[in-house]
Amino acid sequence: RGPAGRGMAAAAFERRVLRRAAEHHYLRVRLELPDGGARPNAAQFKQLVVTALRELHGEVGAALPVDVLIYEEKTLSAILRVISSGLVKLWSALTLLGFYQNRRCAFRVLQTSPFLLALSGNSRELVLD
Amino acid sequence: HPALSRRYVLCEVVSEDPRCRQCIEDRALGLAVRDAIARVHGDYGLACCSISFTGAGETGGPGGAGSLRVRSPVRVSPAVKYLNAYTGTVLLRCRKDSYRLLCSALPFVRYLESRAQRYPCFLNTLHVGGTIRTCQKFLIQYNRTQLLRLLQNCTNEEERQCIQKSLLSCSLTEEKSQSGDEEEDDGTE
Repeated sequence: RGPAGRGMAAAAFERRVLRRAAEHHYLRVRLELPDGGARPNAAQFKQLVVTALRELHGEVGAALPVDVLIYEEKTLSAILRVISSGLVKLWSALTLLGFYQNRRCAFRVLQTSPFLLALSGNSRELVLD
Repeated sequence: HPALSRRYVLCEVVSEDPRCRQCIEDRALGLAVRDAIARVHGDYGLACCSISFTGAGETGGPGGAGSLRVRSPVRVSPAVKYLNAYTGTVLLRCRKDSYRLLCSALPFVRYLESRAQRYPCFLNTLHVGGTIRTCQKFLIQYNRTQLLRLLQNCTNEEERQCIQKSLLSCSLTEEKSQSGDEEEDDGTE
């Protein structure tokens, strides 16, 4: 912590250095279903993600700990959390998924970060007045 | 030659059903192993291990529309390199970068299928080597110790005589072109 000056307000700061790579990675994804049919609910969405993993990476992939933290049915966008060692498997599985219940679909990965806070802002969609 | 290093996995097929021995053939085994890899590691694993049980290479793709037609025969060699139905020994081949995928999928082979019949069995991994020669050396050593163990566990005198005879007559003959295989007793228990 910074030294407190005598008589002056303490300019306290704290600096944390994380040497270890983060445990989890967070992805903001959006599912595109061009045929405007019924939308999957949260459970079906998770099932879809696990199915994608199972197709590409088998039972080992399907057992990867993936969590759907937030799911919005209206926009079909979600925030996924995956253990860091499984990021490549998850991302590749989402990329190569083509069908949901025999309907054409595609996953778009909008943002990814080891910190959840970083997903709150997106400089791509930033509108400068 | 670091470019295309291979790993050879030596395993033995263990089964309670004696009829399982007759379906230890390269096609049935190749299929079973390939199936297990596809289940456990998915499309990615299947492509990595490139297990193929068909011997023929595939010649270059569908004929192009123009007069140019490039023939690039892709030889996908079979991955089952050696089989011994009497002892249930199998030698599988895969790339060095993906032998862990293969080895981790072997415990998931639960049956061998042939002629619409399924025989439950499991695969025991004995040795992983970099060349066929090292696997052969290991196999010779292993068979030797197995024969000695069989001799100890013999129940009747007849079997004992049989095994003793074959043990004493075992020899490794160096032929001019290649080294001969060790003679084995077909391990009747």
